[in-house]
Amino acid sequence: MGEVTDLGHGRYLVAGRLAYAAGPPQARWVFLDGHVYVIDVRPAAGDPATAPDRRHDDELALASPMPATVAAVNVAPGQTVARGDVLVMLEAMKMELPIRAPRAGRVARVACKPGQLVQPGIALVELE
Amino acid sequence: MFKRLLIANRGEIAVRVIRACRELGTESVAVYSDADARALHVLLADRAVRLGPASPAESYLSIDAVLAAARQVQAEAIHPGYGFLAESAAFAAACARAGIAFVGPPADVIARLGSKIAARALAAEAGIPVVPGSVPIDQRDETIAGAARRVGFPLLVKPSAGGGGIGMKTVREEALLPPAIAQARREAIAAFGDGALYLERLIERPRHVEVQILADHHGGVVHLFERECSLQRRHQKVVEETPSPAVTPALRARLGEAAVRLAQQAGYRNAGTVEFLLEGTGDQARFYFLEVNTRLQVEHPITEQVTGVDLVRAQIAIAAGEPLAWAQENLRQRGHAIEVRVYAEDPARDYLPQAGRLLLYRQPSMPGVRIDSGVAEGDDISVHYDPLIAKLVAQAETREAARRRALAALREFPVLGIRTNASFLMALLEHPRVVGGDTDTRLVDEERDALIARLAGTPPAEAMAAARAVPAAETGATGADSPAADPWSALRGWRG
Repeated sequence: MGEVTDLGHGRYLVAGRLAYAAGPPQARWVFLDGHVYVIDVRPAAGDPATAPDRRHDDELALASPMPATVAAVNVAPGQTVARGDVLVMLEAMKMELPIRAPRAGRVARVACKPGQLVQPGIALVELE
Repeated sequence: MFKRLLIANRGEIAVRVIRACRELGTESVAVYSDADARALHVLLADRAVRLGPASPAESYLSIDAVLAAARQVQAEAIHPGYGFLAESAAFAAACARAGIAFVGPPADVIARLGSKIAARALAAEAGIPVVPGSVPIDQRDETIAGAARRVGFPLLVKPSAGGGGIGMKTVREEALLPPAIAQARREAIAAFGDGALYLERLIERPRHVEVQILADHHGGVVHLFERECSLQRRHQKVVEETPSPAVTPALRARLGEAAVRLAQQAGYRNAGTVEFLLEGTGDQARFYFLEVNTRLQVEHPITEQVTGVDLVRAQIAIAAGEPLAWAQENLRQRGHAIEVRVYAEDPARDYLPQAGRLLLYRQPSMPGVRIDSGVAEGDDISVHYDPLIAKLVAQAETREAARRRALAALREFPVLGIRTNASFLMALLEHPRVVGGDTDTRLVDEERDALIARLAGTPPAEAMAAARAVPAAETGATGADSPAADPWSALRGWRG
């Protein structure tokens, strides 16, 4: 894919097709034929600079996916939970967003309280 | 006509009303929260007044703050848009006490129709069929559970207040009833401050068809035909069209007549929408009254496109005391219009609302396409408000031409920086049952996995090349507030 012409204002001509692209430092957003692609341009895994975002799914599932308000905390440290249990109920944009246990386990730590505004990617509950 | 009108709303609907004011020669006054200080509606209005902090309760939902703003600028009228205070009888009453014209029905009409329980009774009085169900006067959980057993399963638990499907729960078996009642009540209290619930038999595979009405202050009432809004995900409309592919001329006449009769029975004024569930097809289809929305609807543009009536201008003229400009027999549907709602949400992750900055936002411009939006490139979509980014309306001679036009427009509508449902909408518009007009309110939820499977996967080589071509230091098309240059140049791969 050699030929890319920067047409300015986020417009690119790529092999005769018009694409739109923009990006913050970490990722590039590309629009091509009605589809959007989010393309990660950071270096390969293993680089310590990328460590904060290299969570595995298990931890991610226990973090808020977006800025939200904690509506209810349903668990306490030491409590045993089953897979699918709602641990924390978040509220954002008029919707309830349940944070469910990705697996069975015991609650090690609860890192949020009702009414708190939480940011994405920060763990709300930790399982042992 | 009013000299000055305040718009008690934000986003695309505030922009829509501001434009109508400009055409009428009425001065427009926007209001805003701290999160919206530089929003499009603030920039476009003739004047703007700050309401308060970002939280809706302290800004757009604060009757005191909105009325103080109206008094400060000496507004003669207030247009509430939809959402926020649009269906607040208390707000309409407060406007009346302050001597300000409320662009909507009188407070007592809003109160009566806003209670879905009272609206059901009104429809029954007017001889309009309602969905079989039960309205427990005693609202204790046990009493509601008892009533549910009599209605039979599956059923719907519905809040008496509010709309948009908030707090509404489908219950298919008795064991699931107690948590559904508890959650419905919690959500209804949180959203509307009223936890009253009622029950309706679940009509399997209904279509959602609604009729637009306009009523003036001189006894004139007309309907502006139907809108079909069956394509919904979790009771939230995503695609609307008019005419409905399921409505025959005879059925259309019956629906319109029922809507007008209800409006007369209720002493209705201004623009409103009478919602029905439609069961079956053809002239023999049965319809049931669902509720009345005592405000302008999100999907009002499709009616405007096929009837040629500007509903917002009509609303303001009615509020100013003018009689309706049309008799029923002069109103016609011409061609077909389809609206798709572009939301900041991720359909692949359970339609999770997305917040962030619109790094790039370019609206398409083409024949027969109208975009109603309240955002501009560089704006932040915040967590505080509705995730609607834009309404794209395609109009053409036939349904199929309008459908293809909507698809073509989405293909030329880049929105970058925030995930949206645009690709999902394209997949939906290409679904065989949507192509064929065979829609019902369960289609989107049932076909969700198939639709998501059609979303973009691995980026093609052209997309990778474009990504690589973005200058490293660029933080968006605007190039604003760029931090240090991006040290990374190698592509690692793509994320989902």
